[in-house]
Amino acid sequence: MSKLLPPKLLLIDDEEGIRKLLSISLKSDGYDVVTAENGEQGLNLFQKELFSIVLTDIKMPGMDGIQVLKEIKKINPDTEVIVITGHGDMESAVQSLHLGASDFINKPVSDHILSVALERAEERLKTKKILNKYANELWNMVKEKTEEIKRRYEFEDKLIRRSIDGIIATDREGNIIVFNRAAERLFGYTEDEVKSGKKADDLYPEAIMHKISDIFSGKTHEADVIFAGQDTFLQAKNGKSVPVRFSGAILYEGDRAIGSVGFFQDLREIKRLQKELIQSERLAAVGQTVAGLAHGIKNILNGLKGGVYIVNNALKKSSDSLAGASVEKGEPESKLRTGWDMVERNIHRVSDLVLDLLSYSKEREPEYEKYDPNIIVDEVCALMESKAKKNDVTLIKSLDKETGEVYLDPKGIHNCLLNLVSNAIDACIFDPDSGKDWQVKVEVHADREGGVIYEVIDNGCGMDHEVKDRIFTEFFSTKGNRGTGLGLLVSQKVIHEHKGTMDVESEPGKGTRFSIRLPKQEFTEKK
Amino acid sequence: MGKKVLIVDDDADIRTFASSVIENSGYTPIIASNGEEGIDKIREEKPDAIILDILMPKESGIKMYREVKTTPEFSAIPVIILSGIAQRTFIRSQKALAEDGEAVPEPEVYLEKPVEPEELAATLKKFLS
Repeated sequence: MSKLLPPKLLLIDDEEGIRKLLSISLKSDGYDVVTAENGEQGLNLFQKELFSIVLTDIKMPGMDGIQVLKEIKKINPDTEVIVITGHGDMESAVQSLHLGASDFINKPVSDHILSVALERAEERLKTKKILNKYANELWNMVKEKTEEIKRRYEFEDKLIRRSIDGIIATDREGNIIVFNRAAERLFGYTEDEVKSGKKADDLYPEAIMHKISDIFSGKTHEADVIFAGQDTFLQAKNGKSVPVRFSGAILYEGDRAIGSVGFFQDLREIKRLQKELIQSERLAAVGQTVAGLAHGIKNILNGLKGGVYIVNNALKKSSDSLAGASVEKGEPESKLRTGWDMVERNIHRVSDLVLDLLSYSKEREPEYEKYDPNIIVDEVCALMESKAKKNDVTLIKSLDKETGEVYLDPKGIHNCLLNLVSNAIDACIFDPDSGKDWQVKVEVHADREGGVIYEVIDNGCGMDHEVKDRIFTEFFSTKGNRGTGLGLLVSQKVIHEHKGTMDVESEPGKGTRFSIRLPKQEFTEKK
Repeated sequence: MGKKVLIVDDDADIRTFASSVIENSGYTPIIASNGEEGIDKIREEKPDAIILDILMPKESGIKMYREVKTTPEFSAIPVIILSGIAQRTFIRSQKALAEDGEAVPEPEVYLEKPVEPEELAATLKKFLS
């Protein structure tokens, strides 16, 4: 046995002969041996310095080996205690093993058996040491990782809490697990209100909820992203709809969907700015029109004034010549003509300008004839097909041959329907909800009294009350400088000429339905 | 009838009207119907005053004004702007042009259409007598 540091060994035996004998043998084996002649002395020594191996006799006066073993194990359970038992004293041997002794040796002690027992003890000590080291390392690692997890959890918790975007997380059943402050601001509910009693389907927009439920119920097996940056509206506590950009994901544990998380970006400020921009663009357009008009009128006025000036001059010269002044013959007449031509020309210019303006709102006499109302739908859809396609809008027509031919003004109704379909496509273009499959339906039905009903239905941006109340007002347009504000007004006029009605139903974010009802016309001959 | 007044306007009626006022004031009218022609006429006739419209095809009124005011031999000729455009719009347009070119002095007189013949005559008199 070659060791750098000899292991310290405590030998307790009441017989001096054995102490000496074993000491010599142990020292020659390389141990640093300290001896004690009884239990008490042994324990005293042990308390002063820790021995890794203790060799103790069982039968001793006073404190016996069993007691020594107990005490030592109390002080340091890692100590290897080897007991020396009397020949055939199996009872003590078994008892000491129960109490944690590592081994026992029978008397008389054979050198060979002793060194085997010690070797095993050392082996165990070494293993224990390694195990301890591992355990310590493991413990430190666990401690470190636990702290890291705690830090990360706190960080993430703060991240969620402080996020500018509203964040909602739900479990599989739709119970709300996370509802941050931004979500509180968006929805108007407090976290407590939501966590006690609200479910995902009370908060998420319908289309999104649908998709989530489909994934949870296994109807669709889609990627874990529900929507990435979709513009939609959410319903706040006060009933108002709030424009948001939604991104969401399904949370998985292995293959199992365990919940969902949704991020809501507040678009209210952006929408407000957009609205302001449209408004200012509209004002600019109005300003431009007025400026253009003013410039034209100013030139005409100057032409008129100039004409009058020249005519007046000529008249003056003519009266001067009558009074005997020297005036070139024929000069006043030609000037008079020049001036008068100017006046005439500028009167034409001003009347042309006024007529151009009026042609916007020109009164057109309706021309009634027997006509198949389905054909108008066909014509309008054919005209609008390319605009619809270009903007990803599906144009659907639904005809009804029951209508037969009816009396109506095909040109007027054509323009009317064209205007409504064009508006409907615009409503889809203006719709911020880019996740929708936009469609515009153009329908014609025969009604029971022999009249005709046209309907134009879109699932675009819809209108709120304020807009709906004003759409039939002159020069009101929601399209910025794209609209004249006259389209619906003209359409309505055509319908009124047919003694018909035009109704509108609309919901912001859902779409708009325009219905035109034309009663049966009793015309016997064309005008 | 010594002094010459150049009238530049794309509207024939305005040219006729202004010519008439110029003649009646005792000057000789010279006519041009756009800015390019106007510059040619300045070289040929060396007028004593210019009546200039702004909104003519190809922005030539704005360009011609800049050219007159930045050419040393022309810059002393008084320019009477006669336009349907408001004065501040004109000044703004000149400022916008000045951002990448040199600044140009404001016109001597700015008259907005429709102008009274007496006002035009008085203005001419002020610069030419």
